[in-house]
Amino acid sequence: MTAMPDVLEHVEQAQALQADQPYVLIVWNDPVNLMSYVSYVFRSYFGYSEAKADELMMQVHQAGRSVVSTGTREKIEADVAAMHGFGLWATLSKADAA
Amino acid sequence: MARAFKNTKRGFTATLESAERKLLRGLFQDVIQLLEPEREPDEDPLWAMVGLDPHAHKDHFAAPSDPATRRLLPDADPDDPIAALEFRRLSERGIRERKIGALREAAMLMDSATIVLGPEAAPRFAAAVNDVRLVLAERLGLETQEDAEAIHAQDDWSKADTVDEYLALVYNFVTWLQESLMQAMLKSL
Repeated sequence: MTAMPDVLEHVEQAQALQADQPYVLIVWNDPVNLMSYVSYVFRSYFGYSEAKADELMMQVHQAGRSVVSTGTREKIEADVAAMHGFGLWATLSKADAA
Repeated sequence: MARAFKNTKRGFTATLESAERKLLRGLFQDVIQLLEPEREPDEDPLWAMVGLDPHAHKDHFAAPSDPATRRLLPDADPDDPIAALEFRRLSERGIRERKIGALREAAMLMDSATIVLGPEAAPRFAAAVNDVRLVLAERLGLETQEDAEAIHAQDDWSKADTVDEYLALVYNFVTWLQESLMQAMLKSL
């Protein structure tokens, strides 16, 4: 009868570990979104400087993708929803897998 | 002739011909139709208000099957289909409602020849115009940089004989309008 609490505790720990794991927001290149629009979104939504926004935008354009923000899964999910609202092609990924 | 967006004391302003406004209004309405969720006649309006889909937890809930709609609402987690679907259950309805709101506002702005956008309305208009471009691009099969350049090179309305040639010119017009707005908005940041 003592097994249950142990199991529960174990599950809670596993969930806590998953929640703590850092996630990243990846923005992918596509031939439709304007460079000016992507820069504007990076500056206005993330508050990045012109230099940082342009650097990330050029990375998307030239390398095909860029890691644009990092944080908890919850934060990155909100970022992805915001990017989809703007029409950017954005996905989330575990930081160590990106 | 249309006059591109520029910064003025009243906000970001552009002037469009009546035929151009009619064209744009139709495009905004087309994208609204793509995004409008299927609504039950007896659906509680609370679902829409909180941005949730009453079907989200049913077994048949899936990603949109139309490629253009899917481009507007891409998978959030391409490595994990279950997580991607869970993201849709929680977020997709809200994203659809926000996009529809911006598109309706944009369609209404086509009622007057001079478009005036304040600092809050401008990003919503830019997003609505961007969604129109994404849908047109999907219909045109625009997938690569080369496709984009080939479409961009088409600039003669008198030579547009096919639907695709006409759509390409429409795409270029909408691109020109958005680019002028983005340049004006970047200057004001």
